[in-house]
Amino acid sequence: MTGNPVEIGVVADEYVLGLLDAADMLRIEAEMDRDPELRAAIAASRERFLPLDETAEAAIVGDALWRRIEDGLPAQRAERKVSPTATANDNRAGGWRATALAATAAAVVLAVALTFSLMRTVEPLVVAVLVNEAGDIKAIVEDFGNKTAAVRLLADVAVPEGKTIEVWTLPSPARGPVSLGRIDDARSARLDGPALPEPHDSQLYELTLEPAGGSPTGRPTGVILAKGFAKIPR
Amino acid sequence: MSKGAPPDDLTTALAACATGDRAALRRIFDREGGRLVTIAERIVRRRDLAEEVVQESFIRIWTQAHQYQPDRGSARGWIYAIVRNRALNLLRDGRREYSVADVEQLQERDQVDHVMAAWHRLDHTSRLRDCLGALEENKRRGILMAYIGGYSHGEIAGRLRIPLGTTKSWIRRGLSALRECMA
Repeated sequence: MTGNPVEIGVVADEYVLGLLDAADMLRIEAEMDRDPELRAAIAASRERFLPLDETAEAAIVGDALWRRIEDGLPAQRAERKVSPTATANDNRAGGWRATALAATAAAVVLAVALTFSLMRTVEPLVVAVLVNEAGDIKAIVEDFGNKTAAVRLLADVAVPEGKTIEVWTLPSPARGPVSLGRIDDARSARLDGPALPEPHDSQLYELTLEPAGGSPTGRPTGVILAKGFAKIPR
Repeated sequence: MSKGAPPDDLTTALAACATGDRAALRRIFDREGGRLVTIAERIVRRRDLAEEVVQESFIRIWTQAHQYQPDRGSARGWIYAIVRNRALNLLRDGRREYSVADVEQLQERDQVDHVMAAWHRLDHTSRLRDCLGALEENKRRGILMAYIGGYSHGEIAGRLRIPLGTTKSWIRRGLSALRECMA
């Protein structure tokens, strides 16, 4: 940011009105996290225009919409299993930025993946783009339900001697993570997993590094290589 | 901003969401969901897409509730911004154009009516109403089209038959005047 209050005011308003292009919008969102002046300017701009939203008459919404929302809710951080490697960096702004960028990149890959999957006869029920902590795309998981899934590695993954990559999903917080199988030679593979409920929107998938032969506990024990949430192809 | 000193219901509900309380999210939905569908629909112009926007937004509200701080504005402004941004993103993905291409012309007049209806419904005693009212017609229209209907600079220029560069600078000047007026 320039630090010039007039400039900040202009950018904040244009952001709130939705007049910035997608790249500028992402940049502002990243900037907002560490620049209190910009944050204040955006907050003020939102409050200025809010009365226009308050003119909207409430549509009648059925319970179905709420059910769809509820079905898609992931577990909150506090309820989730804490990964020992995830807390090393407390720089929230950085992480947030990475997530924003990753989301954009992931959308692109997802589009490619979906195009690809449209050309086949068997459709995956969900597709998840998996990214590492830095937001780099590492893999795509396609879950066909019916005990089969496919994992496609999109980057080289270094697997140390005596280790393997294991693929996990979280069908529900109550059940906890379930292994879909291992990819022993670190290549794209088809997996025959256990019988699970049909995969749902926003279901978590992740890859971890485990001892050769798979996790000794039946739960992820090693470093998370990549993770992502499922989307339903439409 | 003089309001919002004691935490309101929405602020409390967001804090509860961050701890995993689904009933709190439901309270936000019950209170704001219907209006948020209308706000999204003004932008994406289709009820089914608007519901999709609200659905995805509530999942986002849930996952980001822990990031909400009062220095990001009111809880309500924060929640609405998530829905607005999601709707705008969907527009940028080209889905509005794509899906309504054939009926676009039929809906165009309705859509402009939507924008102007919101303007006419705006609380007549509000500061925003006074300050927007003080702007020149085209500047006011441009700002309303952007905020309410999610129109881009290019779309506004086309609808108002003004060159793009002029549209951008008019809107900027209009926004500056608005900021000063409301300060």
